[in-house]
Formats: sequence, structure tokens, C-alpha cells
Amino acid sequence: MSAASVDERVELAGIPLRNAVLTASGTFGYGTEFAPFLDLEKIGGFVAKSLTLEPRFGNPPPRIGETPSGMLNAISIENVGVKAFLEEKLPALPAGVVVIASAFGTAPEQYAELASRVSPHPRIAGIEINASCPHVKAGGIEFGQDPTLLGELVRTVRAATEGPLLVKLSPNVTRIADMAKVCEDEGADGISLINAVQAMDVDVRKRRPVLSNILGGLSGPAIRPIALRMVWQAAQAVSIPICGIGGIASAEDAVKFLLCGASAVQVGTLNYLDPGAAERIARGIAQYAADQGFSRVADLTGALETG
Amino acid sequence: MSANGPTLASVPAAHAPIRGRGTVVSNVVDGHGRKLRLRVEGWPGATPGQFVMVGAGPESSVPRRDPLLPRPMAVYRDLAATGPASEGAREVELLYRIVGRGTTLLSEASEGDSVSIVGPLGEGFPVEAAPGPALLAGGGTGIASLYELARALAAKGRETVVMLGARGGLDLIGREDFAALASEGVELVCATEDGSVGVEGFVTVPLRERLAKAGAGATVFAVGPTPMMRACADLAAEFGAGCLVSLENPMACGFGVCLGCAAPRAEGGFSLVCKAGPVFDAREIAWDGLP
Repeated sequence: MSAASVDERVELAGIPLRNAVLTASGTFGYGTEFAPFLDLEKIGGFVAKSLTLEPRFGNPPPRIGETPSGMLNAISIENVGVKAFLEEKLPALPAGVVVIASAFGTAPEQYAELASRVSPHPRIAGIEINASCPHVKAGGIEFGQDPTLLGELVRTVRAATEGPLLVKLSPNVTRIADMAKVCEDEGADGISLINAVQAMDVDVRKRRPVLSNILGGLSGPAIRPIALRMVWQAAQAVSIPICGIGGIASAEDAVKFLLCGASAVQVGTLNYLDPGAAERIARGIAQYAADQGFSRVADLTGALETG
Repeated sequence: MSANGPTLASVPAAHAPIRGRGTVVSNVVDGHGRKLRLRVEGWPGATPGQFVMVGAGPESSVPRRDPLLPRPMAVYRDLAATGPASEGAREVELLYRIVGRGTTLLSEASEGDSVSIVGPLGEGFPVEAAPGPALLAGGGTGIASLYELARALAAKGRETVVMLGARGGLDLIGREDFAALASEGVELVCATEDGSVGVEGFVTVPLRERLAKAGAGATVFAVGPTPMMRACADLAAEFGAGCLVSLENPMACGFGVCLGCAAPRAEGGFSLVCKAGPVFDAREIAWDGLP
């Protein structure tokens, strides 16, 4: 079988995708930044930078640091706000690009208002709730770490939109399966995991934290085995589709997430250093499927042999 | 928000960035620094002051994942490739010092090795908008931004003085290259803290002298460590001259999406060094807030 004959299409939370590779919120801007580096219509789609109701500036520098096979960041949801996103950013994208909006707020009502403003837009394929941003003092972390708060959040947003609803989960919890189950019970159409792992680093010469925020989120290949474990555990707990995220840097990495139960994946930090990576990874998945005798990429989901 | 937020600042189409491979042509010691010359297929050329993101060390058949992030480096010299099969190929030269794991690995790259490169990035120096005698002050590897700038200014017939400052003579990376620009009308003045080469003291010593002569009509172009750029900006302000600086904040992507390189603005909020910069009017920067 040739890669060209493999059916690459998958479905995630009711959203039909041309292939299984999306790019992760916060690592892909508003999409057009990547136009010089890849064909936006050849990836499954992208999740835009998290939006707040009003424009928002982030933390003072230093905002990033490098760690073994990974990076730390504490940006704090700097974004143009929902109005500029809908009026300026979305119209700048080619028609065939699948866009998932990411919503962030400090109260369930803010998320709900974002969802009700963004979801009806014809260019928006779905909403991803950022319930897990690990570096904002007042916000996501509480929702993603407490099953009661998370349930209330998903319920409130669910009531505000009939469109495809994904919830992006924080890895900074004891039992990820419980969080996944809450999302399923409250009517989410799918879950995305994992967001960055809470972490810190120290500059010994200055005797100061590397980040102005002290704590930040660790991302990149360093967190991939943690992410894979959590996707596997979530997949055992729920039947709604899962989007696997965490340090994916190759088609082989992406396939691991699919085998563990993900229906699609998001490439994140790798976009910074290799802005053409997502397109290449999508091609690589098709090649893997062909080599393994799978005629459909969708059949890779959960195809892990554990016996 | 559009002027200072995380916007899609318009990038001049003439130099749309590429993501490619640089083949190491040479990687040689120059004083306490190094010069890395890369042949880059499809390199679109850069305007003075633009930069590239360079992989932290050469790549084998397996892509490098540790250190993970590329390093921002100013384009030092932008050259047509020479030698066999070089039609259309360009060479990009970069200056660096070994300061950590990434630059140590980069120092081990030898001729023929492959290094990832994304660029050209950022907005270069607005040469036309900066009038009068051009006083270029550089320190550290920041002096890389000044080479093509000095050439461009001199080519327009502008009075162009490059002032390089360093601890000692061996820290004056690229000194001979700059000295050779005399034939293009660029004057070179060196300042060393130990007095081993040129004037003794910081680069602000010759800068003050030149500003006193040129006065408010001059433009200072300062690139180097933050305290040095700030001192140059203060000096320019003292004489009523304009001052453009090129910031060197750490960044992960270089093209406006990681938001890691945000620099605080004097009027509040942040500007992305990679998109709105790296060149800024010194008065736009909230210097106390820089990392």
C-alpha cells in the first residue's frame, strides 16, 4: 500500500479533519505567521492562541527559558481579544483552513460568553476550553485541577454553544481519568491533553528564578512520556474523542498518541524551532499507516496491543 | 492594541523568511569569538539589522532535540556564494561567542555540517528615516548587526563611523572586517577597557566625542549589551541626537508566536523584539524592565 492511497481523514469532536495533525494553541499564533513555512491547508487544522474577552498583555520578561529537551514559559495568555480575532485575524486566513478557537477566562461566564460569540462564526470549526494554563495566577489552573470547578465550567460553556466543544486538560492533577470523565459527563465533545507541566528553573549566577513569574509551564519532547501516559489513562476512562498533545516532534511520536487512544494530535513547541513540522508529520503518519497495512489513519486510534 | 500588542506586523514581502539548512562553509576563531559562514540554498537576502534563528549545533541524520531551541543571531555578512556550483546560492555569516551548551555545540560544527536556519526575521534598521552623520556603536556579538548597516549607509554617501567597544583587543570580534570597510568610506574607532587597542574606556568615550562634533543632526545606532545600549541612548539624548537600538531578548521562534521576547514599552505594554524589532527607537523602550 502506498501512503497516497491511505485515507488520512479523521473526526475529532464532530469536526471532520483532512488529517490527524493539528497545531496547539499558543504555539501557532493566529495561523498566518506560518504561511511562509507550510501550507496551512495541508494540516488538519490549528487551535488559535487562547482568547480572552478583552485584549490582554502578558507577563514581564523573562518569559521563557530552555530546559533539557524542552522549554519553560510563562507568557500569561497575551492575546488580541475576541473582537480583533473575529474581525482581523480570522478573515486573513485561507478559506480551507480548519480553525479551532481557544477560550480562556477567570469565571465560567466569561468562557460561556466567548463560546457564544465565537462558535457561530462560519470560520470556526469548534471551541477548545483552556482549563489548564498553568501559569496564570487567577484563572485556568483552578478549573483544570478541581473536578467540581471543571464540571461547572464545562456545563456552563456547553449551555452556551451547540458547536463542537473540546476541553484542554491540565496535567497538574493526581488522576487525569477523573478529569476526563467529568468532561464527558458534562457534555464535552472531546478532550485535548496535555497542557504544559508546571515547572520552574533557577539562574544560579543571579540566584533568581529563570522566569519573572517564578513558575511556568514545561513543554517540548521532555514531557512526551508523561503526556502519552495521561492520554492512555484518559482513553481508558472515556469514550469521547481525545486529541493528544505533548512534545510531539515526529510522525512516530504522533503515532504513539494515536495508538494510545487519541483520534488526532496537536504539535506544539516544535512549531517554534521547525515551523514546517506539522505538515511533515501528517505525511509521515500516512506513510506509517501504509507501511503497517492500515488503509485508514483513523484505524490507528487505540490500536495498541497490550496483551 | 494593534500598535503594541501581539499583532501580525506586516513583514516586507521582499524578504519573506525561509526555513532551511545552512551548510557550514567555515567556522573560525576570531579573537574571543567565532565566525560561522553558512551556505543557504534559496536565501532571499537580508536587510541590515535582520536576524536568523540558528540551530544550537549541527544536525546529524536525526534532528537535534537537546538543546531544543534555536538561537537568534544577527546577520553579520550577507554574501554571494563562491566556488563550484554556487550559482544563486548565498552565504550568511554570523558572529557568536561560546557562552553555553548551544554555542559550544555550534563551535564543534565543521565544514560540510548542516545547521538549521530560519530567516531573515524582524525589521532591519530604517536607514532612510535616520538622518545625518551615522554613529554606529557596538559591543559584544551585537556588532554583527552593524557591518552591513555601515556598508549600506556609506554606499548612500552618509558620513559613517563605527565605534566598537570591548574589554580587550581579542574581544573585538570582526575588527579586521570592519577595518577593511575603510575602502568603502567607513571609519573605524575602537575602544577597549584595558586600553590594548584604540581608545581606553567604554565605547561611550569616542561616541561622546563624535556627538559633540555632529550634534543633534546625527543618528546613533547602538547594538550590544543592554547597559551599553542604554548608555549610548542616554548620550544621544544628551546631545539631542536620535538613537536606534537593536535588542537581543531571548526568543524561541523569532517570528511572532512564542511571545517570549516581549520588551516593555515606555508607554506601557510590550513589543515583540522579533516582529516589531529587533530595532527600536531608544525612547520607545522601558529600559528598567528589560531582562
